[in-house]
Amino acid sequence: MRAIKGVLLTCDSAVKQILLTMNEKDPFVIEDLDDYHLVIKADEEYRVRRELEAELEKNTYSLETN
Amino acid sequence: MPVQSLKNTDVIVPQHAPHPLLPFLQSQSQTTLTRLYQRPSSCLSIFRLLGPIERQLIMNLLWLESALSAATMSAWVLPEGKNAYDSALTVMTGLHIAPNSAVKLALNPTFKSGLRQAITGGGNTGSFGVPTDKDAKRQSANIENLDAYALERWETILHYMVSSGQGQNPTKPSQGVLYLLQRSGLMNNVHGAALQITSSGFQFLLHSPHDQLWNLLLQYLHMAEERQMDLVEVLSFLFMLSTMDLGREYSTEPLSETQKAMLEDLRDYGLVWQRKTSSKRFSPTRLATTLTSSSPPLPSSHSTGGSRMADGTGAVALSSGAAQQGFIVLETNYRIYAYTDNPLQTAVLNLFITMKYRFPNLVVGMLTRESVRKALGNGISADQIISYLTTHAHPQMRKNNPLLPVTVQDQIRLWELERNRLKSAEGYLYKDFASQADYEYVLAYAKQLDVVLWENMAKRCFFGTLDGHANVRGFIERRTGSV
Amino acid sequence: MEKASHLSVIIDLSPTQWHLSAQTSNQYPLSIETFLSQLLAFLNAHIASKHENSLVIFGALPGKSVLLYSSTELLSDDVPSLDANSYLPFKLVDSAVVQRIMNEFDAIGELEEEPPCALVGAVTKALCYINRITHPSSTTAGVAEDPSIVHDPRILILSVSPDLSSSYIPIMNAIFSAQKLALTIDVCKVYGPDTVFLQQAAHLTNGSYIYLERRDALLQYLIMSFLSPTSIRKILAVPKQDKIDFRAACFCHKNIVDIGFVCSVCLSSTHYLLLSCDLAVFCQPLPVCSTCRLATLVP
Repeated sequence: MRAIKGVLLTCDSAVKQILLTMNEKDPFVIEDLDDYHLVIKADEEYRVRRELEAELEKNTYSLETN
Repeated sequence: MPVQSLKNTDVIVPQHAPHPLLPFLQSQSQTTLTRLYQRPSSCLSIFRLLGPIERQLIMNLLWLESALSAATMSAWVLPEGKNAYDSALTVMTGLHIAPNSAVKLALNPTFKSGLRQAITGGGNTGSFGVPTDKDAKRQSANIENLDAYALERWETILHYMVSSGQGQNPTKPSQGVLYLLQRSGLMNNVHGAALQITSSGFQFLLHSPHDQLWNLLLQYLHMAEERQMDLVEVLSFLFMLSTMDLGREYSTEPLSETQKAMLEDLRDYGLVWQRKTSSKRFSPTRLATTLTSSSPPLPSSHSTGGSRMADGTGAVALSSGAAQQGFIVLETNYRIYAYTDNPLQTAVLNLFITMKYRFPNLVVGMLTRESVRKALGNGISADQIISYLTTHAHPQMRKNNPLLPVTVQDQIRLWELERNRLKSAEGYLYKDFASQADYEYVLAYAKQLDVVLWENMAKRCFFGTLDGHANVRGFIERRTGSV
Repeated sequence: MEKASHLSVIIDLSPTQWHLSAQTSNQYPLSIETFLSQLLAFLNAHIASKHENSLVIFGALPGKSVLLYSSTELLSDDVPSLDANSYLPFKLVDSAVVQRIMNEFDAIGELEEEPPCALVGAVTKALCYINRITHPSSTTAGVAEDPSIVHDPRILILSVSPDLSSSYIPIMNAIFSAQKLALTIDVCKVYGPDTVFLQQAAHLTNGSYIYLERRDALLQYLIMSFLSPTSIRKILAVPKQDKIDFRAACFCHKNIVDIGFVCSVCLSSTHYLLLSCDLAVFCQPLPVCSTCRLATLVP
């Protein structure tokens, strides 16, 4: 048996799919556990969070009325 | 999924959030507390800080000469109130007001005589403050001046906190106050430069003046021990202030050295007023006299409010509702109209609102995603924003039920949830077990230690926490070694 | 934070009854001086409980009722001097009450026949006062939760005189107003026989009626039974009476009757579901009901 050090990410399925897409460009996922969990490399967590936030920001729109 | 707004639930047992000073008092020794109870004004003030059940129990026992058996007292308790009654007794024993005994109920004799003296008047401790005669030469401060003084001192402190690091140059409060703010974690020194506000500082700004005042005073009490000040003297001075009459002058002669040293600090916080530093008299402000009550400690900062006190005592006046007026109108289109010209209130609003227009008596802004996210990033929670808006809601808003539009409340909470979409935990993934039995054995052991974050029987793997790794690894090595 | 509570105290100050109460022939003689000193300790306890608690005291004297003290309005300018060993609000109450009662007693002077005590007048004044403070006008705008708005008004009646049958109707009207205001009426019978009407008042407003047996323990009775606000009474019970005398007084002679005659017309027009409410009750069948002036067909 093996013990692998990593970070367990818990999220909803939509976010998980976004993370998997990001993973194709720059791999960081160690293991895909189930619909809501991923294990990624420990030192990649900060970068992943930043990129995820940037990705989610692309989907938000706000109406600025002056 | 929609977020449920809180419903108003009728609670049978009256909810009473314990006063923040009580845990501090409970951590003191019995001798300290007994020395404190020698003064009637301290007994009275602590009595007021307690919850309603504790107060009734104390009153029941106050005029009895001998102890009451615990069974007799609990015969008066209704079944649904049993828990509340027990927790009230725990509070009382924690403060050494009632000795810890399951058989008899009685009051600590010092506390008993102190409270009796407070109610009937008497004793010679002078614990309610020695008043001075009217000074024929100089006019003493009247209530309006005292209120203005307290307001100015208090707002200086808050304004300094809000505008730190935003390029403005507000008036600096005194060194003592700055030190206190730093020690309480509300501001800190970044790279040796000027003080910057921290996230707990942001949360502090949205609290009610009462909570803010006690927060600072608790910090002051914690520091008092380090500064070689006698805690009992400090506490009894604060309690004496809370029983004083607003608008009267008291003499500094009977104060101890510690208490005279406190006068300077209390002046900085706006609790007392003195004509000059060396003056032999002082007057408490409303911040001091409302320490143990829930009346508004600061007058409204509007010119329209003003105090409608007919009497000079200001102690039990009904028109105290005229102070602390609400001034915020929140619409369903996320627009906020705040009828204020107070720079501090504007600065606090700026923490979570995008300002649009400013008029002499009105500030217009919008709750936007960016502004709320900025506030959330600073450590303010969605609930704090909502409760701040509720507390300062304009009287016109009270026609709405619920007070704030549900859509806006839900959206603020959703913006908060947005930031928490991804949760992470460091640890170890255990996989590739030799057999199912092996897996289950190790899993059971890890569960016993409560370190399992995720498991999957089908894939025969689980994820454990970082701290638990050493134990789990040791367990596995022992097993493989023995097999 | 919990809400403030209001207490209106009505003291029965009938000189004759107090004179009788102080006689040593009683098992526990209680003079008005001793009574007042214990009452003042109780009143101070009420104010001590919370800074925002409000208190109003009325005195019921022969033929009139007076306001002795109100915590929301200063009635006179002579504020007692401040001293270092007492808390000013306590001193204000104590001196105001004692001073006014002394003045009133002096003013009574010598009377041939003492007119009955205006207890009902005092109750009515207390009700008006409470109505005024529980429904403040919209100009006193405040924040959503204003701690000084009264939530839990109570009336405490300290009675020494016996029942007055002419006060039956006014007392019942007062009870209904109290129910509308969600008010609790407590009664402490300090001296004299049980008063049926006040028993009903306490029962119908969910208050507590105590017949003071150990008059030397007045203060303890007052504190344990009447100090706690309504929300605490759900946890620490207060003693109540089991058997209530629900007799009514007839409308024609104002005698208390066990069996009476009810006008069928007024009965149909009332919407109260109580035993002895404002139904016109008579001790003899009458051809015309005096309240609604319609001829009754059957008594």
